[in-house]
Amino acid sequence: MAALGTPFGQMSVAQLQAGLAAKEFSCHEVAAATLDVIEEADAPLHAFLEVTRDAALAAADALDARVDADAFAQAGALAGVPVGYKDNMNLVGTHTTCASNMLESYVSPYTATCVAKTLQAGAVPVGKLNMDEFAFGSSTETSAFGPTLNPWDATRVPGGSSGGSAAAVAAGLVPVALGSDTGGSIRQPASFCGVVGVKPTYGMVSRYGVVAFGSSLDQVGPFARTVEDAALALNAICGHDPLDCTSQPCSVDFTANLSEGVKGMKVGIIPAFMEAEGLSAEVKAKVEEAAAKLEAAGAELREVELPNAKAAISAYYVLGPCEAFSNLARFDSVRYGYSDPGHKDLGSQYEASRAKGFGLEARRRIMLGSYLLSAGVYEQYYYPAQQVRTLITEDYMKAFDQVDCLLAPAAPRTAFKFGEMAEPAEMYLSDMFTISINIAGNGGMSMPVGLGAESGLPVGVQLMGPAFKDENMLRVAAELERIYGPAPVAPGFKAGE
Amino acid sequence: MQTLEEVLERYEAVIGLEVHTELTTLETKMFCGCKLEFGAEPNTHTCPVCLGLPGALPVPNKAAIESIVLAGLATNCDIEKHSMFYRKNYMYPDMAKNFQTTQGPVAFCMRGHLDLEVGGAAAKERHGLAGAKAGDAFENVTVTEEGYRAHVGITRIHMEEDAGKMVHVGGEEGRIAGATHSLVDYNRAGTPLIELVTEPDLRTPEEARLFMQKLRQIYLTLGISDCSMEEGSLRCDGNVSLRRRGSTELGTKTELKNINSFKSLHDGLLYEIRRQAQVLDEGGIIYQETRHWDPSAKRTIVMRVKETADDYRLFPEPDLAPYDLSDEFISRVRAKLPELPDDKAARFQEEFGLSAYDAQHLVEHRSTASFFEACMADADKKLAKPVANLIINDVTAWLNANADASLEDSALTPARAVQLVGLVDAGAISSKQGKEVFAAVLEEDADPKAIVEERGMEQVSDTGAIEAVVDAVLAENPDKVEQYKGGKMGLIGFFVGQCMKQMQGKGNPQLINQLLEEKLS
Repeated sequence: MAALGTPFGQMSVAQLQAGLAAKEFSCHEVAAATLDVIEEADAPLHAFLEVTRDAALAAADALDARVDADAFAQAGALAGVPVGYKDNMNLVGTHTTCASNMLESYVSPYTATCVAKTLQAGAVPVGKLNMDEFAFGSSTETSAFGPTLNPWDATRVPGGSSGGSAAAVAAGLVPVALGSDTGGSIRQPASFCGVVGVKPTYGMVSRYGVVAFGSSLDQVGPFARTVEDAALALNAICGHDPLDCTSQPCSVDFTANLSEGVKGMKVGIIPAFMEAEGLSAEVKAKVEEAAAKLEAAGAELREVELPNAKAAISAYYVLGPCEAFSNLARFDSVRYGYSDPGHKDLGSQYEASRAKGFGLEARRRIMLGSYLLSAGVYEQYYYPAQQVRTLITEDYMKAFDQVDCLLAPAAPRTAFKFGEMAEPAEMYLSDMFTISINIAGNGGMSMPVGLGAESGLPVGVQLMGPAFKDENMLRVAAELERIYGPAPVAPGFKAGE
Repeated sequence: MQTLEEVLERYEAVIGLEVHTELTTLETKMFCGCKLEFGAEPNTHTCPVCLGLPGALPVPNKAAIESIVLAGLATNCDIEKHSMFYRKNYMYPDMAKNFQTTQGPVAFCMRGHLDLEVGGAAAKERHGLAGAKAGDAFENVTVTEEGYRAHVGITRIHMEEDAGKMVHVGGEEGRIAGATHSLVDYNRAGTPLIELVTEPDLRTPEEARLFMQKLRQIYLTLGISDCSMEEGSLRCDGNVSLRRRGSTELGTKTELKNINSFKSLHDGLLYEIRRQAQVLDEGGIIYQETRHWDPSAKRTIVMRVKETADDYRLFPEPDLAPYDLSDEFISRVRAKLPELPDDKAARFQEEFGLSAYDAQHLVEHRSTASFFEACMADADKKLAKPVANLIINDVTAWLNANADASLEDSALTPARAVQLVGLVDAGAISSKQGKEVFAAVLEEDADPKAIVEERGMEQVSDTGAIEAVVDAVLAENPDKVEQYKGGKMGLIGFFVGQCMKQMQGKGNPQLINQLLEEKLS
């Protein structure tokens, strides 16, 4: 076993930028080395769907030309940092496939705001990352272009849907990647791959240019190996975007309170989550251990109830598919995307193109949404789901009246094997601890706390904060990082292993 | 087929309208910054949002919200403070996202109404008004001196976005049937559109036409749209069904689409009423279907039969936050309301003593209303009624007869109109001569006084001159004078005639009468 990453890829943002500022190496050198390693080493891992060499080198050269050592600090929070983007994010001139045959040949004519913001902060865009098709899944197995492997164990999934983003960061290919989270798609793969993954409060990051799955649930966030790197990325991408009217202004420096410790903070434990059926003993033990260590570090532990959170999965599998059904209607073979040839009328072209262009899980969600929104059914499902949403949101509001942060499992278990979750409903349960926070809109993150006692695989604990106070959970995460040490780069594996 | 009158004797026609209006006076589209421009090169005003590209999101146009609130206030609607956008899901290539962003059960504007003044021949089309007196009221109708006033309910006005435009190539007249392929122009996609839906309160084609005319005038006055039926910025669908007189159950309706003029609306509905009556009289069934009015063939043709209700899977648009309009916003919009046609009509009644019917007629068109106002700016108020009559009768008839003519560009200036009416009023010319002068003004581009002089039409109103003639006539006919004084009062006509004859018809008849009566008493 040998680590896949480059020396650069294994550095934190701060280490990279220190080297760049000291002219130990140039942005071009970092970019070129990163691209070379990705092109060679990523073949077995398959975290990347496209390597954007030209865009990366152009950005790196521009930075090299622009900044001298003194000015490097002003060049942006992510200056010179290689960043990968989940393949549902538009970057002009690159393919944005959503890991679907439907968009295999689609080239973005514009750039998503979250991507543009990282570029403004000096990021070097090295490529587009694998995912479950249209973000439907928890394992990247639904990617039309083949799954990503878990860099800790090639027989296991990296989680999903942002599996490529988590794996690329865990393998040390890039220090920072962006993913999106609709029901756990950042936190669960972060947990499976042993990296920091943050889903900010809904509205913190613009969704403009991110191909929508569930518009009221989707949120973009960073993957990194350190809390500080994640905070730097958040600083770059958060804030109001005039192109997304659900986005909110943000003036927080997420790195500001990372060193403050947790003394005096109230951290909530949700007993129902800890007793949930399906929660593995090793994950449960890790959460309890993390709680105890936080208490020892000065945090006050409290039990809080989220009485309606148990209905979250049911509500999610109504609201999510309804929105997805409508969001994916535009993929109709007329203006772009896969178009099945030879049809004489519009209806049969629609049907054949969508039947062949979309994979099984995408078709399942579209059909589910179409059914749930149909006359007579809508009233029985969509309304109650919205009511549940209100109740869960209120649950979290009440919980955060009592505590500053919640601590819970991120996923019920460590990474599972390919093909292990054959039943869709079984797969859906892997998001049982993450979905309710999407329903409520609050921020949540997965923080690595070492390896599971039984599996020897990474375990993440989930931290959740009050809406628009995401700095709370980052502060607790930084304490856990001091306790457990920074997330290690995955040991890696060779092709064929 | 029977005439409308015959049909309406036995059936009640129930008509409702759906009126789509593009807010063409706005700078940009409903949910993106693309420019609104009719007739631009296809697909030049597009962006990721209005092309429905993956990842694009809508941002609502605030000015459009102000426009719809203006429309609601001007049509007596309640402004709903809390409403939201919904997605109406259906697949068609002119709708790039394959859903239309529109509103749900609660629209920005709910529960409004407009009152229509119906007079003249059209008033006779409304069944059951024969023998009623002014002031009588039943259902939605109040009887007036000139006809009746109909109260037409407005269910709602909601905000939505327009679709792109499909161009079918290779078929007949751009129809989809027989076309080899179709092109889509997304310049129109995302144009802010307001849809007004009336209650089924209309009963005659003329009411429907009047409603549309009135609504158009209101929108034009508000300045929210250019309301061009030709260019499609004002579009109207008419729903019509028949029921037996006395029945309260609604019959099956048909929907008339693609109506591109007021006349087509009127004629299409008229045809549809007569057609449905014939079908029903023959024991047939009316199918719920969409029909197209073909003005050249003068008949309606089936476009689409609706067997089941479409399921649009409406649900709240998650990309747009629900609206929470403040009282302050609504009152700020209210303060921007210009004087509306109804307000103007009320002011004309109040200020100039016009009847409701005359006043409504004047405000039916902005041009006639402003012409009237220009006339009355300096004129004596006693001339208001004759000026109004000149506009309502002569000017309107002339405009109707000359489709290309406009009042603004005509030779009839307000000053000339007042001069003309003044000549008649002062007795300088007779009202019959007035009509001749009116035609001459338009034709010769000359002042009425000049025409009267040139044609030697001016009446002699010089008392001295008339007195001389009267004296002469009386002196020439002593026997008739005796008879008159003996009680044969009818002879006054003879004396007037003789005087007029001596004056070659130019004597002022009122003055002649007056002097004769004085001298004979």
